[in-house]
Amino acid sequence: MNRFEFMRNIPIGQYLPVDSVLHRLDPRARLLAVVLVVMALTFAPGLWGLTLGLAAALVCLWLGKIPFKYALRALLAPLPFLLILAVLQVLWNAGPDDPPVLWSWGRLVLTPHDFRFGLALLLRFCGLILFLGIMSYTTSTTQMTQGLNGLLKPLRVLRIPVDDFVMMVQITLRFLPLLALSAERIAKAQAARGADWDSRPGSFFARIRQIVPMLVPLFMTSLHRAENLALAMDARAYGSGPRSTLAELKMQPRDWVCLIVAGLLAAGILFL
Amino acid sequence: MHGFIIDKMEPLILLDNVTFRYPGEENTRDVLRGLSLEILPGDMVAVVGSNGSGKTTMLRLMNGLLVPQGGRVLVNGLDTSRKDQLMAIRRQVGLVFQHPEDQIVATTVDEDVAFGPENLGLSSAEIRARVDQALKAVGMEEHAQRSPHMLSGGQTQRLALAGVLAMRPQVVLFDEATTMLDPAGRLMAIREMLRLNQEGMTVVFITHHMEEAVMASRVVVLHEGKVAEDGSPAEVFTDAKRVGKYGLGLPRPARLAERFQEWLGVMTPRPLHPQEWLDRLPVYNGEMGEAAHSSVGSPRIVGDEALIEVRGLEHTYLVDTPLAHLALQDLNMTAMSGGTLGLLGRTGSGKSTLLQHLNGLLRPQKGSVRVGPHQLADLDVPTKTVAKMVGLVFQNPEMQFFEQYVGDEISYGPRQIGIEETLAERVRWAMELVGLDFEAFKDRLVFALSGGEKRKVALAATLALRPQVLLLDEPTAGLDPAAHLEVLGRLAGLQAEGMTTVLSSHRMNDLAALASRLAVFEHGTVIREGPVGEVFWDFKGLAEAGLEPPLVVRTASRLRERGWPIPKGIVTPDELADALRACSPGGAQ
Repeated sequence: MNRFEFMRNIPIGQYLPVDSVLHRLDPRARLLAVVLVVMALTFAPGLWGLTLGLAAALVCLWLGKIPFKYALRALLAPLPFLLILAVLQVLWNAGPDDPPVLWSWGRLVLTPHDFRFGLALLLRFCGLILFLGIMSYTTSTTQMTQGLNGLLKPLRVLRIPVDDFVMMVQITLRFLPLLALSAERIAKAQAARGADWDSRPGSFFARIRQIVPMLVPLFMTSLHRAENLALAMDARAYGSGPRSTLAELKMQPRDWVCLIVAGLLAAGILFL
Repeated sequence: MHGFIIDKMEPLILLDNVTFRYPGEENTRDVLRGLSLEILPGDMVAVVGSNGSGKTTMLRLMNGLLVPQGGRVLVNGLDTSRKDQLMAIRRQVGLVFQHPEDQIVATTVDEDVAFGPENLGLSSAEIRARVDQALKAVGMEEHAQRSPHMLSGGQTQRLALAGVLAMRPQVVLFDEATTMLDPAGRLMAIREMLRLNQEGMTVVFITHHMEEAVMASRVVVLHEGKVAEDGSPAEVFTDAKRVGKYGLGLPRPARLAERFQEWLGVMTPRPLHPQEWLDRLPVYNGEMGEAAHSSVGSPRIVGDEALIEVRGLEHTYLVDTPLAHLALQDLNMTAMSGGTLGLLGRTGSGKSTLLQHLNGLLRPQKGSVRVGPHQLADLDVPTKTVAKMVGLVFQNPEMQFFEQYVGDEISYGPRQIGIEETLAERVRWAMELVGLDFEAFKDRLVFALSGGEKRKVALAATLALRPQVLLLDEPTAGLDPAAHLEVLGRLAGLQAEGMTTVLSSHRMNDLAALASRLAVFEHGTVIREGPVGEVFWDFKGLAEAGLEPPLVVRTASRLRERGWPIPKGIVTPDELADALRACSPGGAQ
């Protein structure tokens, strides 16, 4: 593992460029559908609803031609935490200790109800992680900005500068990897001249001491870069009038189908 | 106007007695001082001049990014000082900046190309058509969906050009757009410009390479904010003295012709293109000597101790992520003490990655790296210890300065490792080594220095650690001709003092002047290693790695073909001069 690969910590580039039904959906429909399902999963009370959500996630992985291994790997990292949470939930949940009591030890009482609670927690988080994953596997950063642009458009009526906001999001996404690369360069330049980057500082303060000397040069190079970018945008006639977009978003029948399915699914998750 | 005969073409861009000074109190100097220039439709203009002569400023005035304080700038009759005409001007004049990666806005290639047309408010269908056409024009249509940060330097440069072409301008301005490219990429970029020009586009480009300038139909020399020379390449590059006044040199072929006229005859007009020079070399009709069958023995210093040894090295960036890529594989290499090892190969062939292994920044994932007594695969060897012994000067080091003042920047290293003498003494020593006056420079702001001065500060900052080995990654890239010569001189000086050096460069002439041995990189491994006189004479091997030998080597080889009794293995002008001197007088036909 390389000490200087800050790029690793940047959660973009997860997009899987394959051609699938999900990839072809209008980004607005996809964003909205995921929001619906995620909300439903968050508030779903019952096990059956959550199971339905999880099953739907698996179907979506299949529809999106996303390798199961790839998606399940995203689950593995938080799994230990989820399991611990689930166990705690089973042991200490505040629900009524309805009979039949399976096992008890002092104040710890285990009932089938407790197990249902723990299982619900597991299912809920797995479903959420999978759906958010599906979103980032099927949506490029560009589609994300297009989708945002489309969904936020109505706010223009309220005189909210949607265009500028979306441009900001886009440039931020574009700059993140560059920022990581700049940080890498500076850290390497300092290490090459004797700064200590070997030890993984245990204490919070040691870590701060390592990072602070990087901040000023990082700001300087970023400002410099931003200045260049502003000039380049100017030279390409930014701000000359109302902008148009390359991608013309048009809701197809399949996008409406997707929204309807998402709505039904959300209802199913909530009320089953 | 119909039927009116115009005997003089209307200029597309007119700069009329322009003066310009950057705002701010610290800028006390006019960058442009009464500059006048006309760019005509269909022109292909190369702009040359030393750093600070006003080239970039002039280009930015041409599309209204800057507005002059005195005089005026007209584009097709539109005044750049009028805000209401600015957008019409930006449509007509496209500008490709020096660092292409800084001008990319979007997160995919086609969205970025669409940025300009989107700003013009065109319909989606029209934008699509323009994007496709522009991408096709630069040969990037396969990459339409890729992320800009995944592109190579050459691809990024072409993307920047496509973004400008999609605006359908009448003129494209290039501000040193080829600085970051290797020789092959550079040549491709120039050919791209020539092709655009043949299709009717007006092209203006800034360059520090006279070899590129001669490919234009018109050369404009800027000096101290004014146009000093303006004419065809043949008119401008007549003799070394004339361009020397502006801190420039002749293109390589003309320089060689001047240097060897005593033996090869005076060539008028001077050859400006390599092929032309090689074709005009005379046939030998003097007496055959012995030399033709021998080789120049390498007179260069090479120690006998293998100071750095790399065996079976492999490196993958971003392992276990979708972005993982293999940068080095099964790489073997040795650097002898006291010698200079040159690394050459196209961009992305692994040179920089190797250099970062040699001072412990990167550790072997597979294979071994030994530097002096240290085995770097052993993580218990602290990077600090290695850094003290092996100094690395990065590519474009001025982008990595982290102190404000020259003195602080240079003393950073000694402060980290702790030294016995005082810091000031150490800094003074390092600055003198690179030719910077301690008193004059120690309190200057790093960001306000010229390109050559910055490079020297970076060199001094590394030398201040008193390393035994110096690693240099493209030490002369992006410098103007005068600064280039100076940095080269300093490096030769260090070498004479016995510094072991590993030098990576795209400039074959620099390698010929400095290196004793060469290692040729291709696909992350060394495909050939040997004495400089052998590697540069292996034309086929070089071509495989996308490289061309220095012009002196090609000259010597061509002379041999024409019967000259000169030995193989010549790599510098001095060596060629010695060989020619040894030929019998009056040998040229």
